Amino acid sequence: MMKALHIAIKDLRIRIRDRNTLVLMLLLPIGLTAIIGFAFGGDSGISSIGVALVGPEDGDLLTNAAAGLLSQVELFDAEVTTEDEAREAVASGRKSAAIVLPEGLIDAVLEGAPAEIAVLQDPASGIKARIVETMVERFATSASAGGIVGRAIFDAVEAERPITEAERWQLTGWMFQWMYETWSEPAIAIEEAEAETRDVDVHSYFAPSFAVLFLLFTMLASAKTIHEERESGTYGRLMASPVGRSTFIAGKLMGSYALAAVQVLLLIVLGSLLFGIDWGSHPVAVIVMALVTAAGAASLAIVIASVARTARQTDNVGTAFILMMSLLGGSMWPIEQAPASFQNVARFTFNYWAHSGFKKLVFYDAGLAGISQEILIILAMSIVFFGASVLLLSRRQVLT
Amino acid sequence: MRGEPIIEVDGLVKRYGQLVAVDAVSFVVNEGEIFGLLGPNGAGKTTTISVLSCLTPPTAGTAKIAGLDVTRNSLAARSKIGVVPQEIALYPTLTARDNLVFWGRMYGVPERTLAERIDELLSVVQLAERAGGRIDTFSGGMKRRINIAAGLIHRPDVLFLDEPTVGIDPQTRRSILDLVKDLNASGLTVLYTTHYLEEAEFLCDRVGIMDEGKMLAIGTRAELTTSIGATTSIDVRADGLDDSIVDWLSSLEQVTDVARDGDDLTINTTAEANLLPVIVERLAAGGAKVHSVDVKVPNLESVFLHLTGKSLRDEGDQDAAATKTNALHG
Ligand SMILES: Nc1ncnc2c1ncn2[C@@H]1O[C@H](COP(=O)(O)OP(=O)(O)OP(=O)(O)O)[C@@H](O)[C@H]1O
Ligand SMILES: [Mg+2]
Repeated sequence: MMKALHIAIKDLRIRIRDRNTLVLMLLLPIGLTAIIGFAFGGDSGISSIGVALVGPEDGDLLTNAAAGLLSQVELFDAEVTTEDEAREAVASGRKSAAIVLPEGLIDAVLEGAPAEIAVLQDPASGIKARIVETMVERFATSASAGGIVGRAIFDAVEAERPITEAERWQLTGWMFQWMYETWSEPAIAIEEAEAETRDVDVHSYFAPSFAVLFLLFTMLASAKTIHEERESGTYGRLMASPVGRSTFIAGKLMGSYALAAVQVLLLIVLGSLLFGIDWGSHPVAVIVMALVTAAGAASLAIVIASVARTARQTDNVGTAFILMMSLLGGSMWPIEQAPASFQNVARFTFNYWAHSGFKKLVFYDAGLAGISQEILIILAMSIVFFGASVLLLSRRQVLT
Repeated sequence: MRGEPIIEVDGLVKRYGQLVAVDAVSFVVNEGEIFGLLGPNGAGKTTTISVLSCLTPPTAGTAKIAGLDVTRNSLAARSKIGVVPQEIALYPTLTARDNLVFWGRMYGVPERTLAERIDELLSVVQLAERAGGRIDTFSGGMKRRINIAAGLIHRPDVLFLDEPTVGIDPQTRRSILDLVKDLNASGLTVLYTTHYLEEAEFLCDRVGIMDEGKMLAIGTRAELTTSIGATTSIDVRADGLDDSIVDWLSSLEQVTDVARDGDDLTINTTAEANLLPVIVERLAAGGAKVHSVDVKVPNLESVFLHLTGKSLRDEGDQDAAATKTNALHG
């Protein structure tokens, strides 16, 4: 066991003295987070979200009411336009999203008929568009609820006597007021809805994503040394010394894991220092999440190395695999925008669960209980991957 | 032969699929010897060493280090041997000292003696002042010397050196050969593989000649040359030679052949060392005036040629030439 530890320490020493490792471990993820931050909003988070509002031809009243509602929320900068203008504004990135209200929306609401509010999104302004979408979803929910209440009132009154036109408008006005109030200040706040109002800033979103992505790359470089040692003859020399193969494997796993843990924890600390990321109020949960993420990445990279036959192959196969998984799992873009079917596939990736855990910490201020699903899933993945790599490395003739 | 047998190889076979890399090889190395495995590329030298260092199991046959079977008692056997692989098996980005510390720990050298041991080894390989330098900043010869030091860190009983002088300049080669001799003089048993005849002749007490996986012959240089009937030829140029001296030489038991051509005399003999003074003395007594004496001792090259019908030297020279060309172009 001591010898395995010495192998791990030797690996760490080599890694830490290697400038490339430091670039890969810290500089690249931090640099990319900074660049993305510049590109999409900077340090102050999201200050204003440009929204184009498109109303139905017959519904100026409704459209103006909606614009009024939106403008009461400081975050939104709403402008009423035609549909064509709205599309163009979104496509060119001038507006983050456009809300298109359909014909006969009020009647539909009052009559309980299906209606669809479309949200056009600028794919590049991910989070902002996502916020607009969430707002509209919640509005639709309140509106549906309001519709039900309104219909009940109409039905109750009409059972006694016919409703006058004036009364109708008055009731409708009350209803809208009520909808707006439930929408802007829900009486029953679910935790998620409340968390939505935490600072959604670009750095907090992307820093963990890039951390996970580059964690995988660091781990690949680390796992690759299994082959490099074999190819350079140091593995042979180890096997000619009184060191068992299992000691070697244990040393490699420990070295990789330690490096991963150091990297994630450093990136978390640097994220706070450099970008002011607030990792939430549960430090233990953050540390557990970091350590579990490190295990997932280390084990995944070692599995890749133990399937590959050479250092080169580990690099090629591993890089392709990591990029694919990161695209799929959302290390490179906000996959919250993707359709549900895509997200279901994403659930099979390590990245997805790692992001999910960090997002809950940062945006929902989750504690250990809140991220228990993520922790358990990543832990299970790590155990399977570590187990598989130990089996592969000791059974297969990878190490001969 | 000096001490007890320390390496015993018996009927060793190693197959890689169809290829028989080592084919029923047997030999014994005694304590305190430098034993050479001489053979061309692909002869099976490295494979033999790999089996002896417990890196790969033999297909058949046995190998023992200090009485410990390399397959059944692998861990114990491994701590008896120091291995210096053909390639530089070191961590290039670590310093010389850090490499030695690591290998010391792998051999279980106690921490309290490790630093001292390393200082001692660094001065043996004459790199004490470069201890803090990274291996990748070292010259080829320096790397080789640290590579050797790493094999000595645990004070092994036997040292395996696999072609430690390939691709380095003559001066460094010389310093490595001297180092091996010194280590041997201090009691270390050495198993040394090479395809350079001169090295085997200069260094080894006994040599095993290998080709295509087979051990063709084993012995001291003298034993090997005599075994193939090779003789030393002595060329003498002198004034005042006559046929009586030819008759006298022909009558000597160790002399196999004598020929005279004017002032030139050629003698073939199985024993060079004791015969030469006798001849010179006899010539002087007979009034002849000796101008020059040239002794051509049979070497391992002739043995190899005799055994395989191939020349080992050509290959070596090509290697040297290739190295030179590379140096020019590199
Ligand atoms: N791992 C292996 N798999 C298959 N064949 C091998 C393996 N190792 C060695 N061989 C083959 O065994 C034969 C002997 O190789 P070996 O390396 O022992 O020769 P060598 O005498 O050390 O040669 P060199 O002077 O070139 O180092 C060669 O034909 C080689 O191709
Ligand atoms: Mg070899």
